[in-house]
Amino acid sequence: MFIDIDCSQVKKYNQNAFGDYFVSKRYPDEAKLIAVLSDGLGSGIKANILSCMTATMLLRFVENQQIPIRKAAEIVMNSLPVCKVRKISYSTFSIIDVNDEGNAKIIEEGNPEFIWIRDNEVMTPPFETIQSKTFKNRCMKSYKIRLQLGDRLIFCSDGVTQCGLGNGRLKLGLRREGLINLLQAKLQEEPDISSSELSAYIIRQAKNIETDRLPKDDISACVLYFREPRTSLVFTGPPFNQKKDAEYAKIFDEFKGKKAICGGTTANLISRELNRPITMDKEISIGKLPSCSYMDGVDLVTEGILTLTEAWEQLEEGNLDIDNAAGKLIKFLLDSDCINFMVGAKLNQAHYNPALPVEIEIRKNIIKKMAAVLQDKYFKKVSVQYM
Amino acid sequence: MEKISVKVCLGTTCFVMGSANLQELIDIVPAKYGDKVDVSGVPCLGLCATDWEFSKAPYVKVNNEVVKEATVEKVLNEIEKQLGKK
Repeated sequence: MFIDIDCSQVKKYNQNAFGDYFVSKRYPDEAKLIAVLSDGLGSGIKANILSCMTATMLLRFVENQQIPIRKAAEIVMNSLPVCKVRKISYSTFSIIDVNDEGNAKIIEEGNPEFIWIRDNEVMTPPFETIQSKTFKNRCMKSYKIRLQLGDRLIFCSDGVTQCGLGNGRLKLGLRREGLINLLQAKLQEEPDISSSELSAYIIRQAKNIETDRLPKDDISACVLYFREPRTSLVFTGPPFNQKKDAEYAKIFDEFKGKKAICGGTTANLISRELNRPITMDKEISIGKLPSCSYMDGVDLVTEGILTLTEAWEQLEEGNLDIDNAAGKLIKFLLDSDCINFMVGAKLNQAHYNPALPVEIEIRKNIIKKMAAVLQDKYFKKVSVQYM
Repeated sequence: MEKISVKVCLGTTCFVMGSANLQELIDIVPAKYGDKVDVSGVPCLGLCATDWEFSKAPYVKVNNEVVKEATVEKVLNEIEKQLGKK
């Protein structure tokens, strides 16, 4: 099972920092994911620091199984200071530790209860209440649940459930029930909606409910969706040992999922081995990059280093909507959950010509950076195989 | 008469060494020669890797003739030459 996770946020109006903090990390070796959503007391910089500290500390505690999740959450709950003015704890949090089989441990303290949706029905999981030993008014809920393919989990800060509070239509705000209605209607309409789209939808709706569309609190929604992974393969660079061209071309051909080739020589190699012609557009370049070419059975064929470098830069900066080969590659990558790179290690001496711009990177380096950004920023599962 | 095929290499080396500037060929050749000449880009002609010691990218192939350090002018000359022969 693949866990499609994303979080969308808006700040309280007139603030320049987010008071909610979301952090998530995949651990490919252990086939699991940990995510934390924390809401800092107040808003702006102060709340940002509080929530950021809470979330990152929890993640650090739990990763590498240093401290069991329940123990870690207890430590945080028992040690969060009390705000002098409001007499409540500095921040609230929800933490989830889930593996690819769907076994999830969830602990929440102070945040609205998460929503678990299966077949568009809301599930009511059992939980255990853990009372804080140091603060009487603090307790957390601990869940152990087993998820199935198609299940969704929605975590949000109270900015979502309390949005619209006090305005004419919703005196008590959207509340949990209102949010569930919104979610069910949306899922009825688009059963396969991605986590990034669904979380953005929640935020948009919450903002619309607020008077004058001005959020009175930080609003965050984190969505997890358990589904079959969409796999893709990017073949770039000729294999080090030319004798293996046929073997690797066969692996490429037999791969089930979407396929891309990045590199002119590589495209020729696949074309030769699989006996499939390449056709091109009647354009040389679009936006400073060579244009794409086409091959039967391959979803995308681009030039190599320049396109990969440009795509990496834009992924880093978050400009995802660009009209050139790199834009197409970005779309290809972001539409996948598990991305495999097959990277040829053969060097092209011509790339070392001093007359070439210094931006021409070594393929291995650019793939390394690409894998890192896809994994850390876009939560993809990435594997790299050198050949 | 057989068409003359012009292939512009769009591999990394050729592209940065100047084939990006050969778009003009695609625009002017059909206007000038009609359907006698066919111009297109190709992913890579593979010439820089074999010729690297004296890399003369960008490369363009006019039928089987390789134009090194190609410019619009050089390619047009080569087309003229081959058209004249026929």
